[in-house]
Amino acid sequence: MTLASDHRTPPPGLAIATPLPDILKKVKPRTGFVGFLRRYPTIAIGGFLLLVLIFVAVFAGYLGTVDPTAISPSRRNRVPSELYWFGTDMLGRDLYSRVLYGTRVSLTVGFCVAIFASIGGLAIGLIAGYVRWLDGLVMRAMDSLMSIPPILLAVALMAITRGSVGNVILAITVAEIPRVARLVRGVVLSLREQPYVDGAIAAGTRTPMIILRHILPNTLAPMTVQATYICGSAMIVEAILSFIGAGTPPNIPSWGNIMAEGRALWQVKPFIVFFPAAFLSVTVLAVNLLGDGLRDMLDPRASKGH
Amino acid sequence: MLGYILRRILSTIPVMAMVGLFVFSLLFVAPGDPAALIAGDQASPADIERIRESLGLNRPFLVQFGEWAWRTLHADLGTSIFTSLPVTQMIGQRVEPTLSLMALTLVFAIVVSVPMGVVAAWKVGTWVDRSIMTFAVFGFSVPVFVIGYMLAYVFALRLDWFPVQGYTPITDGLGPWISNLVLPALSLGCVYIALIARITRASMLEVLAQDYVRTAKAKGLGQRSVLFLHALKNAAVPIVTVIGIGIALLIGGAVVTESVFAIPGLGRLTVDAILRRDYPVIQGVVLLFSFIYVLVNLLIDILYTFLDPRIRY
Repeated sequence: MTLASDHRTPPPGLAIATPLPDILKKVKPRTGFVGFLRRYPTIAIGGFLLLVLIFVAVFAGYLGTVDPTAISPSRRNRVPSELYWFGTDMLGRDLYSRVLYGTRVSLTVGFCVAIFASIGGLAIGLIAGYVRWLDGLVMRAMDSLMSIPPILLAVALMAITRGSVGNVILAITVAEIPRVARLVRGVVLSLREQPYVDGAIAAGTRTPMIILRHILPNTLAPMTVQATYICGSAMIVEAILSFIGAGTPPNIPSWGNIMAEGRALWQVKPFIVFFPAAFLSVTVLAVNLLGDGLRDMLDPRASKGH
Repeated sequence: MLGYILRRILSTIPVMAMVGLFVFSLLFVAPGDPAALIAGDQASPADIERIRESLGLNRPFLVQFGEWAWRTLHADLGTSIFTSLPVTQMIGQRVEPTLSLMALTLVFAIVVSVPMGVVAAWKVGTWVDRSIMTFAVFGFSVPVFVIGYMLAYVFALRLDWFPVQGYTPITDGLGPWISNLVLPALSLGCVYIALIARITRASMLEVLAQDYVRTAKAKGLGQRSVLFLHALKNAAVPIVTVIGIGIALLIGGAVVTESVFAIPGLGRLTVDAILRRDYPVIQGVVLLFSFIYVLVNLLIDILYTFLDPRIRY
């Protein structure tokens, strides 16, 4: 404090210029949580939407819903009204409740696939990238798996298993793993040539320790971004699988199932398809926005190009 | 270059062999008896036995795979469990609508998305760029069948511009063929357009920062010639790559689009096969689509050598 005030006292015999008018706006450093959200608006919007949807999924039972599977033949195909916010379907089930409970399936599938595919892809990618003699073989296998369009691979897997949420997650995970593995392998290949890895080898660090301490942490940033996008695409694939009858069993209300059931009537009762479709789109949008924001945050160089 | 092309063509053989192995062994990695799984829950033991017999599931795995691979190489994909027709024949009947849809979508998507990406890169940071990129995010997020239903509701049911559903073969005239495919192609194309536009923009931004682009501008070339002749040519490789990779999206999306618009193509065949647990048909369709995908990407890899003569392998 004393230093600053000393600065301002004019030396004897010198007239000091009048201070410049304060025309420059003060730069407010964006610090703290609010500053972070303002800097990355897509994270703020995507994150907020996703939190709302997680809330809906967790508290689906307390948000004015009824049993989503309760059939009531006398109240079939009602249009949206005060009593039935989203209307009722052809079996008289309350669509509002079904759509809200459907959030659970989509989020569960999206999050689980993102986590499992990341772990699986990370393991395969690390091994392929670091163990030279395995690289060719493993990556050829991954390339082949990637040659099967992901939705068809999931369809084929679902055709040979019984429909259940667990199997849907497994099928989509298998279809997504090669993409993660390829990404991780690419990162590992460039990291392996870094001087600090050479240094660690020279210092006698064991291979597992090098992977764990020097390679793995550097793959996490691109992986997180990739996992977010996988989460979004897994939700779409789940809905597609359910929609064409190869996904979540029909007795579980999922958005894809609701749309599949509304398909027969969509020309006269478009709302049956509309509400789950809107929820699905908003959810995937939220996840993708979050992914874009994370990419900007974790890799500022790449964000300029996109 | 000829050597490279030859090597590249030969390298697809192991990939396709491994795809075949994957598709074939799927049936065996599933827990439980594959014959019982295909037969479904209501099947009698006799049904299961019949399926086991017809698929040859009672022989050793490698023998089965060998015979299956041999048959597949001779364009014999087996017999459908449900219709007892050869799978190749069933696929042959359904291939035209799907190829029409995919070809139309491909052309339309490229024609729309590449200029979109170029303009976004040219006007980077302005509202034009922002709205194109916003569209791209939406294109990624709204599932293909949602777009399909929205378009069908507005343009077919409300405005009555196009037929709601169905398909007319191209032999019945170009007009009806196109009008039936406009809405499906639009809905299928959305995510693809988003993908290509995004990559085009990124690739163009990189190229536009190069010295020779500045030189071209400095010597007074028109904006259009700088963008589309000088810059786009050099930005082409990543764009062409993503067009190839995106074919997978088209294939997956076609299955759903055909369901929404009641197009009797391979997608419908797949969906019907799933509902009937007709595994040989599913196997055949997956194999065919993977083959198309590998083939397209092979062509694109060969195209690279023409687009960028610096590429040498």
